[in-house]
Amino acid sequence: MARQSRAQKLRRLAAIALLAVGVPLGTAAQLPPVNETAPAAPQAEGAKPENSLPPISRDCQIGSAQIVSQTPLPNVERALRERQRIVIMVVGASPVALRNSASSGHYEVVEKLLEETFKGLDVSIVHRGVSAELVRDASERIKNEVALISPDLVLWQVGTADAMARMPVDEFEQTLTETLVWLRGHGVDVALIGLHYIKALTKDPQYQEIRTVLKRVSGALGIMRISRYEAGETITRLRSEQGRPLTGTRLTDAAYECSAEYLSRAIASGLFLRAKDTKSPRPKK
Amino acid sequence: MPRLPNAVDFWRGIALISIFANHIPGLFYDRFTHRAVSISDSAELFVFLAGWSLRYVLGGPERPTPISQIIFRLGGRAVTLYAAHMMIVMIAIATLAAMSELFENPLLLEWHNAAAVFYRPVETHIGIALLSHQLGYFDILPLYVALMLTAPLLAIIDRYVPSLLLPASLGLYFVSLVVPLTIPAWPVEGQWYFNPLCWQLIFVLGLLMSRDTGIGGWVRRHIVAIRWAALPIVLLAMVFVLTGGTWIDPTKMPSPKLLFINGKTFATPIRVIQFLALVAVMSVVYPYIARAVPNFVKYPSMLGRNSLEVFCAASLLSLWSQIIRYAWPGGIVLDTLILAMGIFLMGLVAWLTEWRDRVVRKS
Repeated sequence: MARQSRAQKLRRLAAIALLAVGVPLGTAAQLPPVNETAPAAPQAEGAKPENSLPPISRDCQIGSAQIVSQTPLPNVERALRERQRIVIMVVGASPVALRNSASSGHYEVVEKLLEETFKGLDVSIVHRGVSAELVRDASERIKNEVALISPDLVLWQVGTADAMARMPVDEFEQTLTETLVWLRGHGVDVALIGLHYIKALTKDPQYQEIRTVLKRVSGALGIMRISRYEAGETITRLRSEQGRPLTGTRLTDAAYECSAEYLSRAIASGLFLRAKDTKSPRPKK
Repeated sequence: MPRLPNAVDFWRGIALISIFANHIPGLFYDRFTHRAVSISDSAELFVFLAGWSLRYVLGGPERPTPISQIIFRLGGRAVTLYAAHMMIVMIAIATLAAMSELFENPLLLEWHNAAAVFYRPVETHIGIALLSHQLGYFDILPLYVALMLTAPLLAIIDRYVPSLLLPASLGLYFVSLVVPLTIPAWPVEGQWYFNPLCWQLIFVLGLLMSRDTGIGGWVRRHIVAIRWAALPIVLLAMVFVLTGGTWIDPTKMPSPKLLFINGKTFATPIRVIQFLALVAVMSVVYPYIARAVPNFVKYPSMLGRNSLEVFCAASLLSLWSQIIRYAWPGGIVLDTLILAMGIFLMGLVAWLTEWRDRVVRKS
């Protein structure tokens, strides 16, 4: 097993080395081909979908804190029903890799959980993150990427770069709103991933204003939002109470991991509800 | 004695100042750079002028540089660029780490695609060395390295089958747009921000336009007519940008969409056409500026003459400026100070480079 893993790594390194000397092996915006195997037939009626969701990990259990604004994802649901394939595009800050892990990032947690939960579902995650990209620059690029990739769902980590660059908040709000409306008008669901909880920024007016804007805009437009700030704040408090305090990168890393769990559960929960109604492929038992 | 001010050095100096300003998101003066009224920006100008400068390495028709010498020089240049890139990336990473500690803000570790460096250092350091992992705003030099590595091949084609150079470049460009092809990033999934398979066209066009023969000669002979034809394109692009660029809905474009949309990563045709039109129109301007304000052109020309050193300085200065703006938000006064200081320090780097060269020559 370990040898196989090492061989895979060596192959990957060899491929990268070839690319570095100018052999263009890759293709862009190239989604993996649609799964050619026939989708699994829906299972018999009577399953209890909620039971299929694995329990949330101990470290991410935060009691009654409201972290996810649960909203319907009609375009994802339609993709699930018609194609059994969901294309998720990730934009915003770079997809941060799991620490000490061979996995390629936290978003793979989302992919894995959804595929394990919905039998026959093929989840494709396309990374188009540009780190430190302002919302005004992302807005135009997202439209191009939507045209090229045709995602059903966009996961957008937004706000941090604008807060750090001290961009005008009203301009941020206007561009964010316009982009979200455009995405909705083009049949794309969105999940916003909010700002991190950073102790040094709890009194930073710009950071807090951006956070408020995210809350306001997602609420007004009915967009799914993962409140990473509240999650981080609650995790910090709980861990301190348990005598296992989290600080610095450990905290942001925990927030990433837990956000991925919350996000995948939010998407799955939305689909479960719809799956029951529409008899779409059901979750595995 | 450094060479006298000329149009290429002048415009390259202007591009360097613009890149410095554009790489400080939110800087007040960003709106006065040419990207505020243009679809293309300083990156196109920088790469085009890099191609233009290749002419000096290749030599003219009367005194062509031997191919072996060309390969040696371009290979050496690629190594120099690579070393410069590694140096500024390492300084940038150290800066982010230090500032994260100073301000107790781990978000600074994640700025500009740096997160993987700290969270997955083993793979990411390999990626940095292979140029497959690039920090945000530190992504032009990897493109330049890639172009310089392929430049010997361009030189050979140019020497032995010159008529093939543009068709081959255009062929690769359009195949890359239609398929589409790119260079993937690793270990963080994604792609190169500047796709060398497409940007090579701008580099090749720079080389071809620098010549008095071939397409460059044709352009020179018809430059007045070309300028008149280019002017409406430049004006239309200006209106397009000023009105938010919302006329084109990329999802409504026919396939292959990259042929019709405005995308920087792939240097899409809309950008290349607008850029060439802008070059045609602006090519008339330099002689007038040089005559009207001869002292003014000296400074940007000095920056342009020492473009690599100045570019490296500008990249780091823009990162430090971003951190200053984050730590001490100061509005237009701070932005003015940052811009003035940045341009002064870029000039100081250029002056020191030429001073060092003079000392080396004397000794």
